[in-house]
Amino acid sequence: MQYEPSAEQLLEAIAELLEDEVLAALPDALKHKCRVAGNLARILERQEALGPAGAARERERLAALVGAAGSTDAVELSRQLAQRIKTDDDPDFQRSAWDALVAICREDLAIAKPGHDAWEGP
Amino acid sequence: MRGLVASSAGARRGNVLFDADGPSRSLRLVATILPTAAIELNPITAEAAVRNLAEEHGVPVPHIHAVCTDASFVGGPFFLSDRVDGESVPRRVLRLVHAEGIGERVAGQLGEALARLHSIDPARAPENLMDDRSDNPAETALAGADRMVADLPLPRPALVYGIRWLERHLPPAPPRRTIVHTDARNGNILVSAEGLAAVLDWEGTVRHGDPMQDLAWPALRMWRFKEDGREIGGFAGREPFVAGYESAGGAFDEERFTWWKVLGTLRWALGLASQSAAHLDGRFRSIVMAASGRRVPELEWDLLMLIRPAQTERRAGGGSSADDDG
Repeated sequence: MQYEPSAEQLLEAIAELLEDEVLAALPDALKHKCRVAGNLARILERQEALGPAGAARERERLAALVGAAGSTDAVELSRQLAQRIKTDDDPDFQRSAWDALVAICREDLAIAKPGHDAWEGP
Repeated sequence: MRGLVASSAGARRGNVLFDADGPSRSLRLVATILPTAAIELNPITAEAAVRNLAEEHGVPVPHIHAVCTDASFVGGPFFLSDRVDGESVPRRVLRLVHAEGIGERVAGQLGEALARLHSIDPARAPENLMDDRSDNPAETALAGADRMVADLPLPRPALVYGIRWLERHLPPAPPRRTIVHTDARNGNILVSAEGLAAVLDWEGTVRHGDPMQDLAWPALRMWRFKEDGREIGGFAGREPFVAGYESAGGAFDEERFTWWKVLGTLRWALGLASQSAAHLDGRFRSIVMAASGRRVPELEWDLLMLIRPAQTERRAGGGSSADDDG
């Protein structure tokens, strides 16, 4: 099936509608919700563009850490990583786990909140 | 009564501003109204009493004139307090503070206010105030967070990583247990051109807490509202805040402070996750609650940055030592 406009393009159109037209016409009590909805449309727009490649890299990173015992499901791999974080005291593993979690989080933020990762503490 | 104005406060309660004329004087007042007693953390009488106790010890708060637990007047319990002028909306607070050049002063005054609160003998707190009777508030808080992480519908290894760090760095019971406000941060304070005007929102105040919980909470990144370089609420760095705390008799403990910062960040991630859960299971359908779920990675990032593994491990592996801790 061919979709034209694409999901990404339609989400962009929804965001523009909410931000540029609906917002100004709303009573104050609804403005915040409208901004949130517009922002969610922007998030989904970025997810359409960046999500598939990011999810593939997440699976690779998780699989590399937990030894990829047959599973390619990100949820299952995350579960295995969480379990190993709890039990494996090897500092090299903990360091690698932190590096991978930071890399995964960076990709989540590129969709959910670009720029949030500019800050690195404390 | 004159000039009634409804003002949007937090999500949980409403404020009505008005002037009351008596035979000999007029008062500028605020009625703080809970929609129902069912959502109270502390009973409203405890909140009012601990706030007035704090006032007696020099913590700036709007004086409370009366408390009413009878919901039949305005639909929920309420109290009446003086109306203090100032900004409380975080971004407006930051605009004012930086226009007036009083960021360090506000941070110092907040530290001072918390020291005064912590100087009060917890035995003097109202009897019906929430009480932490556990041996170690940090341990109790960690156990609660651990349970919530385990109960998440989808695994979040970054939060598990945070739990592990908190377990490895758990501080012993604090040398002093104090009354703890638990939510004294940018957004819950009133600031005027002169500086800190009042500490608000005492609904979550606890007796017998760890005082460093109160110092850590306003230092979290999410209360800086983009002013990331100013650790304390976007006002200023840590030094004036700690100096203010110590000048009023508080004892600052940096390790404990850091631990509570990590715990607070993790807790906020869990709070956002539970808001999205409340939307999904129908307890509270709202686009805002739904959006909270997509904000969890922000807190995961902040958490991971606070618990960066020691650089010595990387050096041992032959890596660079360019970016030191902190």
